[in-house]
Amino acid sequence: MKKILVLLLLAVVGFYTAETFFDIGFGKAPFVKSSEIKPVKDVYLHQTVQELKVANAVTSIVVNFRGFDTLGEVTVLFLSVTALGSILYKKRHHVGERSVLFSASSIVTSGSKLLFPAIVLLGAYVFIHGHLSPGGGFQGGVIIATGFLLMLLAYENYSVSHKGLAIVESLAGITFAGVGLLGFMNGGTFLQNFLATGTLNDLFSGGIIPIIYIAVGFKVAAELTGVIYTVLNEKGEQHG
Amino acid sequence: MVGTPVLFIAIPLLAAFLIPLTGMVWKESVRIIPGLILAYLLVLAINLLSYVTVNGPIVEVIAGWAPPIGINLVFNAFSGFLVTIMVFMGLLVWLYSYRFKSNVEYEAARKYFLLLMMLVTGSVGIVLTGDIFNMFVFIEITGISGYALTAFYTGRDSAEASFKYLIMGSIASVFLLLAIMIIYSQLGTLNMADVASKMHLMDPKYKAVSFILFVIALGIEAEVFPLNGWAPDAYAEAPGPVGAAFSGIVVKAAVYALIRYTYTIFDLSGAFDLLIIVGLMTLVIAEVAAIRQEKLKRMLAYSSIGQMGLVFVSFGIGTKEGVFAALFIMLNHAIIKPLLFFSGSYLVYHSKKKTISDVDGMGKLAPFTSLLFALGAFSIVGLPPFAGFWSKLSFLMAAADSNMLLIIGLILTVSVVELVYYMRVVNRIFFFKRASHLLARRPTFNAYIVMSVLAVLILVIGFYPDSVSTYLHNAANSLFDKSQYIHSVLTATIQ
Repeated sequence: MKKILVLLLLAVVGFYTAETFFDIGFGKAPFVKSSEIKPVKDVYLHQTVQELKVANAVTSIVVNFRGFDTLGEVTVLFLSVTALGSILYKKRHHVGERSVLFSASSIVTSGSKLLFPAIVLLGAYVFIHGHLSPGGGFQGGVIIATGFLLMLLAYENYSVSHKGLAIVESLAGITFAGVGLLGFMNGGTFLQNFLATGTLNDLFSGGIIPIIYIAVGFKVAAELTGVIYTVLNEKGEQHG
Repeated sequence: MVGTPVLFIAIPLLAAFLIPLTGMVWKESVRIIPGLILAYLLVLAINLLSYVTVNGPIVEVIAGWAPPIGINLVFNAFSGFLVTIMVFMGLLVWLYSYRFKSNVEYEAARKYFLLLMMLVTGSVGIVLTGDIFNMFVFIEITGISGYALTAFYTGRDSAEASFKYLIMGSIASVFLLLAIMIIYSQLGTLNMADVASKMHLMDPKYKAVSFILFVIALGIEAEVFPLNGWAPDAYAEAPGPVGAAFSGIVVKAAVYALIRYTYTIFDLSGAFDLLIIVGLMTLVIAEVAAIRQEKLKRMLAYSSIGQMGLVFVSFGIGTKEGVFAALFIMLNHAIIKPLLFFSGSYLVYHSKKKTISDVDGMGKLAPFTSLLFALGAFSIVGLPPFAGFWSKLSFLMAAADSNMLLIIGLILTVSVVELVYYMRVVNRIFFFKRASHLLARRPTFNAYIVMSVLAVLILVIGFYPDSVSTYLHNAANSLFDKSQYIHSVLTATIQ
């Protein structure tokens, strides 16, 4: 009886939610046609090129218009990594060995040695050019972390310095929050751009946007590498 | 002005990133820095609250884009009041647990204090933000700190509780995101004030769907029946101070979010009735469940859920007096429930099962802790002259003004149930013979200080309720003045 009631309730909520989302569609204009509606996206698209001189509108929204959210998301990632460490703590005490113990074939080991620098380079390219081309700090960071994942899978005794990761992570986070506070002191509001924006499509353009995105790139790379390392290598922090 | 609201977020985040570095140099700093930050934020909150009382709300623009383009923070009498309570409770929880895990290695301490500080920051962010998506981000921050703290370096049961909380919290996040998407697709804006001013343009069907999704999502976080399955486990299994932080800080933030949506953003006529119905269900079921609990902390958890139900009923009355009473109950609950959690966890410290029968005769072994527990119990059931009496009285008066006699009857009946299960415990503490041979655990010096501060606050509010009522009245007025909220946000400029 209780189950049927719950299912019925869920079905009603599900039906109306699904119906609403079928109507809304993806990327369509708002249904409400009124002169009072001035979608913020128009301002974003206009100001991205006009004022911020950034070629990638997604980046300008993520890092500048809604940079505060991004700072929050970076913190969410940071907390998840911290939380993962505290939850896997028990397990690490008993098991001191890598869970993957057999060695990879020489094709895999030499191939990954060859690929690793290229992957890191691509990751760095993606986050350095975050304000010019698709991609950015999060994507670039993930690409670099996959490079480390490859190395960890290929070499059973490959190790990453936990202390080093923690330092990179902290410095990148401090850069983000610190740049925000500098804007607070220079321009008047937190995360406000206080550098010259340069010319559109230049590598050095967009004011503080590239600085923040590079910091995010380092941070994401260090954190995800840390997650992979913690899960894969359960010795983890004991000597870190 | 001594500072701006953004410092409530920026300073703790900067410190959170700094702590791993300072910890490498000086290990004790991982314990001290969060406390210093919370103390600074408390000073800031008190200063800003007194500034706001005189000069009106502060609207802080972020990244140089005035609302509705950018994100903004709003510090007014209502949000400021809650922020002050939260930061204060955060500081007390920090002080209480300062020696927490001092015997194990440094990693545990670093993570515990970091997560505790972020739990407070996330909750403060939920209350301060003026942007619906930004609120989602802060709910995530609070949630992840909460999941981790529930399972913090303890056993199987707490991992299970944490997993439950994680699943429920993730469902809440998904629903919240869906609700935000509906609003953004219709109105093209995420700013709360802007959304509120354009809400009348939205199709009623979409409005209803997004409101229901918001209620489900935030109801999970605010422990509303039937979405609170995670709460009793999380409270009972988490370390003592974490349970206190949940009831004193996190739940308050979730309640705030739900109230902000019903009062300011949505203009649905049935919303207040929904609050009353949901609140009554939560209250009745939680109190009935509480009386059947055998574990002390679980009983306290259900009682906490019941109090939240009462808060929702009180908000649902929809008058200024109702809001005043709801805020008063929230304030009292934030002071009393942590006292009960702190003293209660000392009363059952050495017992394995932590059942209520383990407190038998504790009054002789640990007189001070027992006395504080009794004080908290008397206060929360609403006996005069303690703090809880005034909040219950103001609630009953608000309900009587709106002629909700049936609700008054129901609440009074439920209060009797509440009285029964609290008095049962107090009776066991003082008048039962000690059956087990477990010794009482002496509270640490810090715990003595924290519990005494809370007890003194209960007595002060109990004897001089006027000392807080001005703040409560200001807060209630500021919640009601929707047009002023919208106006002050949309006309905000870079200071």
